[in-house]
Amino acid sequence: MTGVGVVSPYGIGLDCLQSGMLSGKCCLEFTKDLYPGFEGTTAQVRGLPAEDYNPRYSRTDQLALIAAQDAIANSGYDSSTLREAGIVMASTLGGLTEIDTGIAKDPAAWYRRPGGLLRAASYPFAHVADAVGEHFEIQGPRCAISVACASGAVAIALAANMLLDGTAPMILAGGSDPLCPFTLSGFNSLQALDPNPCTPFDQSRKGLNLGEGAAVLVLETLAGATARNAKVLAVLRGWAMTNDAFHATAPQRDGSGLADCIRLSVEMAEVSGDEIGYVNAHGTGTPLNDVAEANAYETAFRGRTHPIPVSSTKSYFGHCLGAAGALEAAITIMAVRSGTLLPTLRLSTPIESPGVDWLRGDVKRQPLPMAMSASSGFGGSNTVLVFGSGLS
Amino acid sequence: MTPNLPLVTISGIGSVSPYGPLAGFIPKGPLEPTIITAWTTAAPRRAFLVAPFRPASVVPGLKTRRLDRLSAWALVASSLALKDAGIDLSQVDRARVAVVFATAFGCVELTEAFYLSAAANGWNGTDPITFPETLASAPASHVSMFHGVRGPNITVSNKYFAGESAMLQAACLLRRGQADLAIVLAGDALARSLYSWYEEANLLSPACYNSDPVLEADGFVPSADFIPSEGVAALVMEASARGEVRPNTRDEARPYARICSGRWAAGGQPAEIIRQMLGSSVPGLTICSGNGAPCATSRTTALAREIAGDAVIILPQAFAQGLAGTGALFHLILGLGGLPSRWPAGGSALFLGTAGESGFAAILLDLPLTDLP
Repeated sequence: MTGVGVVSPYGIGLDCLQSGMLSGKCCLEFTKDLYPGFEGTTAQVRGLPAEDYNPRYSRTDQLALIAAQDAIANSGYDSSTLREAGIVMASTLGGLTEIDTGIAKDPAAWYRRPGGLLRAASYPFAHVADAVGEHFEIQGPRCAISVACASGAVAIALAANMLLDGTAPMILAGGSDPLCPFTLSGFNSLQALDPNPCTPFDQSRKGLNLGEGAAVLVLETLAGATARNAKVLAVLRGWAMTNDAFHATAPQRDGSGLADCIRLSVEMAEVSGDEIGYVNAHGTGTPLNDVAEANAYETAFRGRTHPIPVSSTKSYFGHCLGAAGALEAAITIMAVRSGTLLPTLRLSTPIESPGVDWLRGDVKRQPLPMAMSASSGFGGSNTVLVFGSGLS
Repeated sequence: MTPNLPLVTISGIGSVSPYGPLAGFIPKGPLEPTIITAWTTAAPRRAFLVAPFRPASVVPGLKTRRLDRLSAWALVASSLALKDAGIDLSQVDRARVAVVFATAFGCVELTEAFYLSAAANGWNGTDPITFPETLASAPASHVSMFHGVRGPNITVSNKYFAGESAMLQAACLLRRGQADLAIVLAGDALARSLYSWYEEANLLSPACYNSDPVLEADGFVPSADFIPSEGVAALVMEASARGEVRPNTRDEARPYARICSGRWAAGGQPAEIIRQMLGSSVPGLTICSGNGAPCATSRTTALAREIAGDAVIILPQAFAQGLAGTGALFHLILGLGGLPSRWPAGGSALFLGTAGESGFAAILLDLPLTDLP
């Protein structure tokens, strides 16, 4: 990893995210009227730069462009050297932000509104990858990913595969998803939203909060990065993807799908479970997810000499859906680089899980040669990324 | 692709298309667009449509009541491809089976339904059962659930080369040892909002408005007009060592093709990159993919001639072109299915598509040494 770009409710850039999270600032706030009648807790990205973006870019595209710009800037590349780069961008929403309920009644009339055709053209989730490619004039292979809430992590895993396969010399990979009535309404209908700031892994947890943002990582082979004297932010040592094959929305209660995924990623990284110093969990705060995840950690890290330190950073700025896996990869890289283990906010009575050290209270500081980011999603997808420090 | 990793075999084909649900090749023959009846149109409008059928009549025990057509077709096509490959999943380590699905528009029918429920009841009154089924990844999830396969489950897209992307991502998983077998699917369902968009954007062929025959007798399109279509194609792909030694129940079962290498890009120097990929291989045949843009076919054939000289070129069929970015698997199935009468067995083939100024997808295939089934 030679570049990390982030746009989050803390603002633009990894430094902004890091200082905000280390200070314990929570971006979740009571929100009204994201659609008529909505009241709840969300985390919003405010004050996006008023750049001269193409009017056909959706908010999803814009968030991705800002994160990609940030990633490119801190990778040491400029756009002229990025022409052959690959792009793997994830989103669950695509351009749904640009479409309203009027389209359902009479699509043709809706398209005839000023800008209607153009706005609808951003609907496919592939549009996000195209926006990044076109804006930065990148001509390598483009792939868009949509794997529910694991999307961002899947993008990084597939980019790593493509890189090793020689598909491109470097790849921009990440995810982007904004707040949108469509998803707020959907999660609300499933009664999955906590009206107050969420409490992942707490016995009293009630559900998730939605957030928004984007993260883009620059991946290149270690040999390639070394050859151009790039600053190596972290090394992706292992990755794996599995599926529960169980239910459209619920994870397997025993967490076996995620546990398998953790085992496979640790095997690829050629490390033992004892060498993983921290897990940035999926940790949505929903009753079903968190217990399944706790069970997965119990199973996957059985035999460790000490409980595995785990936290959910969704307690800071909510669940950013297709961007979550990429944002949490960025946070995990940040943890490895700075040796800081962020606690889960508002965690007072954790799920009973003797094999897990639920991080809460103060930030822990310790050398962290290896850490893991775990993501799961509707439809049973699991993805785990194992990051080592650049020196490991 | 990195050399010295296992090649990947295509060992099974299944599809749900205007030709119906089929295992193996799609029979040759012309296909004319039919009149849309699923929604009200101001005047007759036509497209290549999948006729309604009962999925359980094709795949016994399959329940699709709450699913949209795209998910149902994915389940049927994947089942037919597995059957065609002669694979009994009870004899396979299902944790080593991946699902890779390509779609341009995802579950657009249920997305429409969700918007309709919001329009009728307000955003606070939407349907909780519909919401998770609107995700583009829902069909792939259902495939994993139905077949009980627990390997990587990925949904991909690309404006022009979604199908090729799915094939190459699956090949990558297999070559990297992250799965032994992959069910690769690509397709979309045609919905009112989608068709209306094509119509308002003036992209439709005159054939969508009148009933004159537009296709040549063998089904190949002469002018590459865009007639929207729908369907899902499925391939079973296996790491070659596995695909060639496992017992197979399909009569006279043989691999359809082996994927040797592949490249795709949004721009650059296609001819140069493809020649580099081909190395010493000299494909005697090019199967053209096509994304519906009238100029794409001529550009693809020009590139094919630039790379492979006098090699035989199989042009895209109108029905597969109507699937925009997800038609690749159908182009491949139709192209390979057209082989026996056009091409002696064996040798290599280039599967090629182009888009925009210089975008392309190219996959080098080894064809089996005997006639295809």
